[in-house]
Amino acid sequence: MITARAVRGSLPLVLVSAVLLVLFAGFPFVWMISTAFKDSHEIFATPPSLIPRTWTLDNLQRLFAETKALTYLRNSVVVSLSTVAVTIAVATPAAYSLTRFRFPGREQLAGTILFTYMFAPIMIIVPFYVMMRFLGLANTHIGLVLAYTAFCLPFGLWMLRTFFQSIPLDIEQAAMVDGANRLQTVLYIVLPLALPGVIATSIFTFILTWNEYIFARILISADELKTLPVGIADLYNASVVDWGMIMAAGLLVLTPVLGVFFVIQKYMVAGLGAGALKG
Amino acid sequence: MPPTNAKGTDAGPTALAQTGLARPRPLRLSEQATGLLLVLPAVLLLLALTIYPVVYGAWISTFNKHSFFPEQTFVGLGNYTYVLTDPEFWNSVRLGAIYAVASIVLQIGLGVAAALVVNETFPGRNIVRSILIFPYVIPTVVAVILWKWLLNSQFGLINYLLEDAGLIDRPISWMGKDWIMVSLVLVSVWQFFPFVVLGVLARLQSIPGELYEAAAIDGANALQRFVHVTLPQLQAVLFIVILLRSIWMFTKFDTPWLMILGGGAETYIRTLPVYTYQRTFAYYEAGIGAAMAVLMFLMLAVATAIYFRLFRHEEAL
Repeated sequence: MITARAVRGSLPLVLVSAVLLVLFAGFPFVWMISTAFKDSHEIFATPPSLIPRTWTLDNLQRLFAETKALTYLRNSVVVSLSTVAVTIAVATPAAYSLTRFRFPGREQLAGTILFTYMFAPIMIIVPFYVMMRFLGLANTHIGLVLAYTAFCLPFGLWMLRTFFQSIPLDIEQAAMVDGANRLQTVLYIVLPLALPGVIATSIFTFILTWNEYIFARILISADELKTLPVGIADLYNASVVDWGMIMAAGLLVLTPVLGVFFVIQKYMVAGLGAGALKG
Repeated sequence: MPPTNAKGTDAGPTALAQTGLARPRPLRLSEQATGLLLVLPAVLLLLALTIYPVVYGAWISTFNKHSFFPEQTFVGLGNYTYVLTDPEFWNSVRLGAIYAVASIVLQIGLGVAAALVVNETFPGRNIVRSILIFPYVIPTVVAVILWKWLLNSQFGLINYLLEDAGLIDRPISWMGKDWIMVSLVLVSVWQFFPFVVLGVLARLQSIPGELYEAAAIDGANALQRFVHVTLPQLQAVLFIVILLRSIWMFTKFDTPWLMILGGGAETYIRTLPVYTYQRTFAYYEAGIGAAMAVLMFLMLAVATAIYFRLFRHEEAL
């Protein structure tokens, strides 16, 4: 049932299953978009309409006018991009070193990285919180970026390591034979070749950070510092749920993810192997 | 420094790759230093942000400690005896296990089936794959509010459709005590089955087609081909996927926590991670919370060891 030849004749069955799967996975998003663009009467109308009879931007407008969504959005962008910058800046040289140099403890380090996969955020959140309070970094974006770096660094290292491994050493040697020093070789030969890997790792880091809830919930208490996931959860937790606005907020947080999703789709399996797809 | 490493006739690229050295021996020491220097920031960050908190967590678990204030008194294993005799702890372990097992079984079943489907050739296959994988990369908070809206007892689309089809007389209270675990499992399966699809699909694509042709020539039908050809090939990847999914589902905090938010029957999905969080950040008992985190890790470690003993195959990992 794998090769095209082997399944000939069961194509209708495959198509029906595919349609059902797409409905299951995709329909909630369709419903979210539909709700986000309906006016408040139509949202609660019976029978419900799939395509809004009147399209409206009221929900989005209310979201920006009545809540701190813009602030949350800005915080999310700042925290996510900072985490990407720190993770890549630290992980790239380290991954290069792990694939090009030999030093004591190299193998143990690789093992340690795998070991960190065993620790879920909930297991380190208590000591992490106490630690951040002690350092005066609780309720700051720096503390949050450090927390995110803690769980992005292991997979970032692992993923970049795989990419560096795939770059043949002879190319570097050829450059050095031609008189380039190590720094030049890395800057002009290795990094350009590793760029797709660096981009893929950056995007995985971005998505993980952009979506993260628990550290942001615990480390940040000031409303002006909250990120989008926490902000949305708080909007939802308000006394009367404004479904149109909530769905508009969901749309807002999803848009960047959708944008980068298609770029990294082909790296998904590599990310899977590296643990970039924790969750 | 002059690059001289290419002069050796037998020390070709392969040999160099094996030793991991790109430069000749006399420079070994400075090579080591450079290598260590490049890896140092990453090591320090990992030590400070991952290893240290884990060790510090174990340390905190021996103290009676408030989550906000610095005072602490040493209680030895007191927190552990307290937790292990707390019926609510055992209830949370039970709920966590129910949640993990139910959602894992369904994720694996649905994920493998979906992977088999999108491994076939049909028009629009790539976009179908994208749509199936997308729920995995969205924030959990969006997954939860999406389903809370669909499952809303008064205005939700699902209750409307069920009533419209005559399947139910009265709206189901999906966030009420009888159904909230079902709703939680549903949301989790929806959000996490794509992980199984990704892993299994990657493996399916590498199974040689000849195996199926041979089986077909031998007269095996589709089901027999699945059982005798596909499943054995999937064993190794399923071993890993089930292991990872189990670890992540058993420690899953945000999905059940967000399900409770805004009116969910809290005590019916208070899993171990949720209870750990509450002891720490609602009751401010950092010591108790830390002890529960350590116990969670120990349970995972034991379960993982048993799992390896029972199911490990040579080709796994």
